[in-house]
Amino acid sequence: MPSLYRLHRAALCAAVFGIAAISTASAEEIIIGAATAQTGGLAPYDQPALAGLRMSLDELNAKGGLGGKYTVKLLIKDTRSDTAQTATVAQELIDAGAKIMITPCDADPSISAGQLTQPLGIPTLTLCGSAPVLTGAVGDVMFGTYPADNVQATAVADFAVSEGKKKVFLLTSPDSTYTANLPEYFGKVFEKKGGAIVGRGTFSMGQPDFSAEITNIKGLADKPDLIMTAAYEPDFPAFIQQLRGAGVTIPVYGADAIGTPTIKALGKLVDGVVYTAAGYAEPGSKLEAFNAAFTKYAGHAPESTYEVNGYEIGLILDQAVKTAGSDDPKAIRDAIAGLKDFEGITGKITYAGTDRMPLRPVALMRYEGGEGKHVQTLIPDAADVPAP
Amino acid sequence: MIAQQIINAVSLGGVYALLALGLAIVFSIVGLINFAHGELMTLSGYALLASLVLGFPFPVAVLVAVSCGALAAVAMERIAFRPMRGASVTSLLLTSFAVSSLLKVVFQNGISARPQAVAMPGWMTGAFSFGDFTIGVGPSISIVVSALALIALEVFLRRSVTGTAMRAAAEDFDVVRLMGIPASRIIATAFLLSGLLAGLAAILWVAQRASVDPLMGFTPVLKAFIAAVVGGLGSLPGAVAGGFLLGIIEVLLQATLPGAIAPYRDAIVLSGVIAVLLVRPQGLIPAVRAQRS
Repeated sequence: MPSLYRLHRAALCAAVFGIAAISTASAEEIIIGAATAQTGGLAPYDQPALAGLRMSLDELNAKGGLGGKYTVKLLIKDTRSDTAQTATVAQELIDAGAKIMITPCDADPSISAGQLTQPLGIPTLTLCGSAPVLTGAVGDVMFGTYPADNVQATAVADFAVSEGKKKVFLLTSPDSTYTANLPEYFGKVFEKKGGAIVGRGTFSMGQPDFSAEITNIKGLADKPDLIMTAAYEPDFPAFIQQLRGAGVTIPVYGADAIGTPTIKALGKLVDGVVYTAAGYAEPGSKLEAFNAAFTKYAGHAPESTYEVNGYEIGLILDQAVKTAGSDDPKAIRDAIAGLKDFEGITGKITYAGTDRMPLRPVALMRYEGGEGKHVQTLIPDAADVPAP
Repeated sequence: MIAQQIINAVSLGGVYALLALGLAIVFSIVGLINFAHGELMTLSGYALLASLVLGFPFPVAVLVAVSCGALAAVAMERIAFRPMRGASVTSLLLTSFAVSSLLKVVFQNGISARPQAVAMPGWMTGAFSFGDFTIGVGPSISIVVSALALIALEVFLRRSVTGTAMRAAAEDFDVVRLMGIPASRIIATAFLLSGLLAGLAAILWVAQRASVDPLMGFTPVLKAFIAAVVGGLGSLPGAVAGGFLLGIIEVLLQATLPGAIAPYRDAIVLSGVIAVLLVRPQGLIPAVRAQRS
């Protein structure tokens, strides 16, 4: 099992890093704390992103570290996908001397960690948490890295409108910021551009049975020509399985969280499903080169664009330390907040002038015959993006 | 539309009934609420996935998956619960939590934390029209399988010696042992049956959700526990009644609650459970003998 092998190597890495901590602690070292999920529901998102980050830090360390000066020591602790546990391990990482904090791919645990780092001024970056309320809920140390939910939703809505879609059904779950808000952002843009919301439904995350909701959709007097949801695993497979099982053929669109091998492996079931990604590896692109390098590094191809997003976090930190010229957390924070048109792997990344959710391109993808096909890449017009 | 929702409700209720019955059989004999019951489902789910990936025909894969659940249940009893026999209810409960957590971590680290897609055969995800409404093949199979399993279990408990001994053991285990019936055999059979039910429920569950993941057992065991308590802990007919009641309430609320209140669905369901227990503290159909603790 490759995952067992990875685990083994991770343990080895941890041991090596641990020994390094005792023997070579020096002034030219910077500790990055990663409070991320190795187990539980967020693990399938955190782990790929962390693998990308680890790769970039390894490469940077080989060139002298962040800003060419500060060798990175990455301390990783498991949050078990639990919000309270995230705060506990974040505190442990702060106590261990972390000057930069990396948090899970979700708003709630990221906010709980951010509440500890904010008073200390430690710059905190979520791996792929994309709720735009995330940074405001914490304060000026908190940064998103992935395209924000409202930006993604605008991109999908723009595309749906361009396809001539007129009536949408929104399926949300109040259980997370992502599942609750993203479809609503879509709805706002869609309505503004002439579409109509003909119905709304809700689900509980982890709910096995969507039959009642699907019967409601079938019974709508005003038939939708699109269903928009931010449901992901395991809810999205269950929903679409039961939807198609009930003979409903209305297209379903989602966002980044369904760009995963699990959803792809559903094959014919997800034909026509549109989702988003942080980038698309066109031939000759930087992303294609990254994918090849990552495959060499990790022994398997990237599962999604979470890997490259994690890798770009390393590049952003490197640039920020370079600009700051020191390892002072506050100076690093200011440097990240001032980044403008920074050349990442997927395109230009800008923090300057934003609410610390980056402006960056969104790739629209569509599943066809068990493969994710690229539709288009765009940066939505800032005026269209609804407020968080 | 109403007929459609009734079918949805019966289909979900049937799966809950299978699950609750699995918990109740073990509880009625050993006095243990086996919270690792959900992990039996997870195991069956992975067995189904592995069999399909290996290219077994679907019926064979189902057989493998259900037998895996049954054997795992027997193994679980042998390894984890037999050494605890006679221990207090609390110790047994904690043991089952420990087994559950252990298995989850084994699944996560040994297989993958990521859900794995399970490709059910195309005909299972289809639908057929019946009058002016369409019925999914999946829900229909759920209903038929649940009904057959419940009937088969009833026949087994009524007609076979072991079954009779199990019913007797649920009422007074000591007397059954005095009659010369080995306790270990009764207990192992109870676990075997509960594993079979978990395996069957897992197939129906996976057919609905199209993926298996290490944590998938949590929700079903919770629902089964609620259903078993509402029905009357330790009572087999009660577990079935509780399962159907829970399924019907959930679907009805989902179908009828207005959008603003819909997020409180689970809270409303659980309030309903409390209301039932206030009126009937021993459950809908109380066990013949109160629990031994």
